[in-house]
Amino acid sequence: MTIEIDWFAFFEVFLAALVGAVLVVGFYALALRMLVRAGRAPVVAPAEFTDAITVVTEKQRAKAAKAAAKAAKKSPLTDGQKRLALAAAFASFGLCGLAVLASILIIVLH
Amino acid sequence: METAALIVILVIVLALFFDFTNGFHDTANAMATPIATGALKPKVAVLLAAGLNLVGAFLSTEVSKTISHGIIREDQISPPEFLPLIFAGLIGAITWNMLTWLLGLPSSSSHALFGGLIGATLVGVGALAIDFGIVLSKVVLPALVAPFTAGVIAFATTKVAYAITRRYDGKPDGRDGFRWGQIFSSSLVALAHGTNDAQKTMGVITLALIMAGWQSSEQADPHIWVIFACAFTIALGTYMGGWRIIRTLGKGLTDVKPAQGFSAEASTASTILASSVFGFALSTTQVASGSVIGSGLGRRGSKVRWRTVGRIGVGWLLTLPAAGAVGAFAALIVAWLGTWGILIDTVLSVLVVVGLFLRSRRNRVDSANAMSEVAASGRAVKVKKNPPPTRRQREIMREEARAKRAAEKQAKHDAEKAKQAAKKAKHEAEKAQKDAKKSKPGAGKSAKKSGDGKGKKGKSKKKNKGSSAGKDAR
Repeated sequence: MTIEIDWFAFFEVFLAALVGAVLVVGFYALALRMLVRAGRAPVVAPAEFTDAITVVTEKQRAKAAKAAAKAAKKSPLTDGQKRLALAAAFASFGLCGLAVLASILIIVLH
Repeated sequence: METAALIVILVIVLALFFDFTNGFHDTANAMATPIATGALKPKVAVLLAAGLNLVGAFLSTEVSKTISHGIIREDQISPPEFLPLIFAGLIGAITWNMLTWLLGLPSSSSHALFGGLIGATLVGVGALAIDFGIVLSKVVLPALVAPFTAGVIAFATTKVAYAITRRYDGKPDGRDGFRWGQIFSSSLVALAHGTNDAQKTMGVITLALIMAGWQSSEQADPHIWVIFACAFTIALGTYMGGWRIIRTLGKGLTDVKPAQGFSAEASTASTILASSVFGFALSTTQVASGSVIGSGLGRRGSKVRWRTVGRIGVGWLLTLPAAGAVGAFAALIVAWLGTWGILIDTVLSVLVVVGLFLRSRRNRVDSANAMSEVAASGRAVKVKKNPPPTRRQREIMREEARAKRAAEKQAKHDAEKAKQAAKKAKHEAEKAQKDAKKSKPGAGKSAKKSGDGKGKKGKSKKKNKGSSAGKDAR
């Protein structure tokens, strides 16, 4: 019986997965944050309301959309700053998209 | 030769059925969280997963050379012996997959296949044909490592997602936008799953064909019909959707929110991809389950249902021995009865599968009620309290309370000061009047009269004030 455990491979998997996931989630979250800063807070209604969702009614969704629009109006940023934030948001989304494309490439190659 | 042909056909049929069970067993890995958060409608989610599994099966046709990854010493087993072993192993794997599906437990299909093969080999050939070192290093250790690794990564990413999007002013934080991201991250998991798991069945069928002499061992690539059959079968299985397991992963472990779902899927996808790149094979199911638990721990105010986690853990522990026991039993019947044994095994396995399916119809779980027993009625009522404030939020609240107290104190102080100033002014005015009286004694009477008049006026004003205050009080 030979037990060969490749601990280094495990460590590599852990590190690569951690860095990859943190980058993707971090950039995506940053993009959302920038969208909010640019006065375009995304209000994405659930495709279907399930028991696992906290905000459950259409009325609450409409209320959230109204609150987002109101908050966007009150933004202290200048128009230039808002445009910059929007550009940063799209850049972050772009980086996430690149990460997804890279992942597909990895799937195809391996 | 006829028996060999019968076994090959049965192995192909069983392998395809295993592929089918693999598909519906693992739909949850990719689609449980987007369904739970409402990012995708249940039917749309399983359709998307089925399509991506189908595409994934065609993306890579590099079949693994040994279906057991070295767990079984295939070179020590002759072809006539090996085909019944694969047959018995597949029966063990299918039975375990069906049972865990009925119980709603996400368990590894690969481990079930390994278990079935190990059990069948122990009975059919003997313990020497199994490399227990590889069993430990490629099955047992990854089973312990996978959920832990994915859980830690999902925990960290959930923290990152919430920290970046957190707002302290109570205004919209845009976290709903994670629903868009969930569609992409779950699609990636479905694609990776199709690439890995459809290959497994292709390998089994190709090996059976080579063993029967129907395919040259020098050309180990799968036939095009094998690729199509496996791709469509896993896609069909995925489309059927293992709703019981989707329910467990989607809302049984923890209540998943869009940011958590996105983080969990990103963690699952990155862990699977990293493991396939660095050659440390991890089970998709265990990675996905670990990710959901990690994301549950990563959100403040979220609860992980450890009882369900325990049930899943027990399922993982039992996968290898239970599938092995069924595989061993099937191999024993073949060893005793030969061809008749294969037929009896087939009949028994069909009975077991049909029995488990009929049992599942008693409490049917499908796309309509997998996630929405309450919401399906049109009256979703589950609104939770906000999570407790963070340290920074507590500091802000303390600061606000302190500022409010200081403002109140200042206002009180100012009012007191104004009162004192008014009193002082009155006192000075009276003093000035007295001084004036002393300096002009003749004018004293007239001043007294005018002073009386003021007094009367003051009284009448007081009366008016009193009546208006009374009105306010009413």
